[in-house]
Amino acid sequence: MNLTAAKARQLLKDLRLFFVLILLMAVLSVLSPRFLTLGNLSNVLWSVCIIGIMCSGFIYAPITGGIDLSVGSMAALAGIIANVLMNQVGIPWVPALVITLACGMFIGFINGIVTTKFGVPAFIVTMAAKTYLFGIAMLVSNGDMITIMKPKGFLAIGVGKLFGLPIPIYIMVAVIVASHILLKHTVFGRKAIAVGANEVAAKLSGVDPDRTRIMAYVLSATAATVAGIVMASLTQQAYAANAGGYELDVITAVVVGGTSLMGGSGSVAGALIGAVMVGFINNGLNLLNMPSSFHPLVTGVVILLALLLNQGGKMPKFILSMRKRLGDPGK
Amino acid sequence: MAENSDASEEVLLDCRKICKSYNGPMVLSDVDFSMKRGEIHALVGENGAGKSTLIKIITGVTGRNSGTMVFEGKEIGHDHSRTGAQGLGIAVIYQELSLIHGMTVAQNMFLTKEPRMPVLGIINIRRMNSLAQAMIDRYGFNLKATDVIDGLSIGQRQTVEILKALNGKASLMIMDEPTSSLTSAESAQLFGIIRQLKADGISVLYISHRMEEVFDLSDRVTVLRDGRLVEVLEKERIHPNEIIRLMIGRCLDEKDSKCVMERKGGEVVLDVHGLSSEGKFSDISLQLHAGEVLGIGGLVGSGRTELVRAIYGIDAHDSGSISFQGKPWTPGVSQSIRGGFGFVPEERRLQGIMGGISITGNIGITNLDSIAGKGFVSDRKELALSRKAVGLLNIKPAEPSLPVGNLSGGNQQKVVVGKWLIRDLRLLIVDEPTVGIDIGAKEEMYQTIARLASEGVSVILVSSDLPELTRLSDRILVLRKGRIVKEFAEGAVTEEDVLRASSGILEGGAA
Ligand SMILES: Nc1ncnc2c1ncn2[C@@H]1O[C@H](COP(=O)(O)OP(=O)(O)OP(=O)(O)O)[C@@H](O)[C@H]1O
Ligand SMILES: [Mg+2]
Repeated sequence: MNLTAAKARQLLKDLRLFFVLILLMAVLSVLSPRFLTLGNLSNVLWSVCIIGIMCSGFIYAPITGGIDLSVGSMAALAGIIANVLMNQVGIPWVPALVITLACGMFIGFINGIVTTKFGVPAFIVTMAAKTYLFGIAMLVSNGDMITIMKPKGFLAIGVGKLFGLPIPIYIMVAVIVASHILLKHTVFGRKAIAVGANEVAAKLSGVDPDRTRIMAYVLSATAATVAGIVMASLTQQAYAANAGGYELDVITAVVVGGTSLMGGSGSVAGALIGAVMVGFINNGLNLLNMPSSFHPLVTGVVILLALLLNQGGKMPKFILSMRKRLGDPGK
Repeated sequence: MAENSDASEEVLLDCRKICKSYNGPMVLSDVDFSMKRGEIHALVGENGAGKSTLIKIITGVTGRNSGTMVFEGKEIGHDHSRTGAQGLGIAVIYQELSLIHGMTVAQNMFLTKEPRMPVLGIINIRRMNSLAQAMIDRYGFNLKATDVIDGLSIGQRQTVEILKALNGKASLMIMDEPTSSLTSAESAQLFGIIRQLKADGISVLYISHRMEEVFDLSDRVTVLRDGRLVEVLEKERIHPNEIIRLMIGRCLDEKDSKCVMERKGGEVVLDVHGLSSEGKFSDISLQLHAGEVLGIGGLVGSGRTELVRAIYGIDAHDSGSISFQGKPWTPGVSQSIRGGFGFVPEERRLQGIMGGISITGNIGITNLDSIAGKGFVSDRKELALSRKAVGLLNIKPAEPSLPVGNLSGGNQQKVVVGKWLIRDLRLLIVDEPTVGIDIGAKEEMYQTIARLASEGVSVILVSSDLPELTRLSDRILVLRKGRIVKEFAEGAVTEEDVLRASSGILEGGAA
């Protein structure tokens, strides 16, 4: 076994993403002189923080072989709930945020229960959740755009600084590191990967696939809630369509980062790089004065390219099973 | 059997100096391989010797690094996956059947080649069925073109697979371990088919780890070892012992000795009473003692697999009770594992391995209790444990970071078994544990099971491999249509006895 060569190849593969990122930055800075300015980069940073926080939990859905399309709606609803609790009910901000988080967890739990116990595909379940969460958000907010002026403690989450760095960065780094450790070094992480890789084999080895999946959706919704809170505090706004389309950005970031949508593998660090890239791409489109109707097209193409890049060597399961049906052993 | 007509001397396939590496070590080095028209040719070798790889190169599923290949007088390029084996006239039957459930025999046989109506390209179902039936009748198979796959036995499904492959007008039929999941009656039927193919002038290349059938069937045998050609044996030199010697480079001693060790009458570990499950098995009562190997025989579909799945706690049962170590026991996979059960499932690829994950990951997942504390996994302990399993069963290549999907079939099976053997077990349930495992490794696995039993571990062994069943078991229960029809207590049991009981004495060897 030629180990060093294999290791070098792996390292190169890991770094490939970095090269692409640097290339992207180079292209953007040539295309737009405003790109490499401090003001612009810190703009990008905000959206990277939101996407990064979402990714840290979302990633467990694809790893266990599912998907969560409700993260955008969840984040928007979180901002609205937090505002209602703090400014209409009048609960102090800390307990209000704790309750908001609990709501998020509960919704993730519902997503998980419906997918596992009732056997509805995650795609359908979370698509429905995306819609009804948006509906709740519309109802609660009367469809208005709410401006959040207080309390101070809450607003500090978004705009405050610690040792010269904005607080959202600390939050993002904390949840990303926690998620990385959870995936790589804990029993739950091992189980999540096993369930995604081969559910039956995992079950026979003593893993409870349902419980693992439910946990994945709880994590996903919780991270989306945190992202929603940070976003509301940062923009001082809450409205139902606030994070519309974020689920696409999150999926892009995770896929670009090398996580297989077919389950069984994933990288939190990769997702973070993916989040940075998505942030740059969206920012670049803005800088180049592309109309916003153009963005989904670009994001879609990027997802496709990322899929091809990452899965070239390792075919997604459904392609493998298709090939097998057509008479290829795939062994 | 060996006819010396001109046709049988004509070379059909000629491979020279084939080299292959899957970006790593060489898997095949300078292998020469040839087939004559109308011969039955066996390809043998240890697990990981490169048999499946050679076949994949011949069929174009994977490319070769160097070497030449001539088929029917035509030079075949390095990458002929585009034209495909079928385009050349090579039919392949992989170990994993590839039929589509819910479709009929005819639909499967004609998949993507359906006869069409003259207008609009609509499939002509009536013509398809009659063509299919004509082919079935020509070979005298007991099948109907309109049968749906789901209702067929494994043996019948394989027959359909062969028909499907033949439908492309093949002159070479390749089979990768075709008998590994067949009962002996089904195997015998398959050999009949193979001989018929030969009579039709079709060459058959097949891989098998069962030496008796290689001996019975083949005109020539090619032996591979570590990716190199060892020897090509002509008919008169084909003898099981000789093949084994060439395969593993030494003789296997005492192959027929019974693996049962001295044991003291242990206490009852598992007591199953009146266990029933609608449509699967009914009224099963059995007792298992410490250090005992209980064999369960019967045909595929007799309820053996369902019974052990219920005991392990995968499927619920309807009535009856189980007690384990003297206490009432509610089955459930997690309890079972905590209680010291181990379980090797029947179907390796669907239920056993996580192909995309490393050997370490596959072994770690069943041993989280011993490698993790407070929810955190110790990578060091996990690696040590997987090294132990790799060493115990001699898994090759011995590199724990490799994805299990990249191992050879037999080595994948060793991982599935190995992940349990390193645990502190009380009861080991194994369902067809040696499928695809080579003869030397099989011997080692038998020794390991016997050693575990002598240490007091109880074993339930489900197997279609009768020599395996009679050699390893202290006691054999035979199931038929979900009921225990016979118990062979300790002492002399012959394979014949088990076979008779399995198939119902009156009905003889009906499959
Ligand atoms: N896709 C793959 N990627 C990397 N290595 C592979 C791959 N497939 C097979 N190998 C390696 O090639 C070698 C030969 O494997 P092959 O499957 O040809 O063995 P085999 O003779 O068919 O064994 P078995 O009797 O166990 O089926 C093994 O060492 C295996 O690990
Ligand atoms: Mg093989």
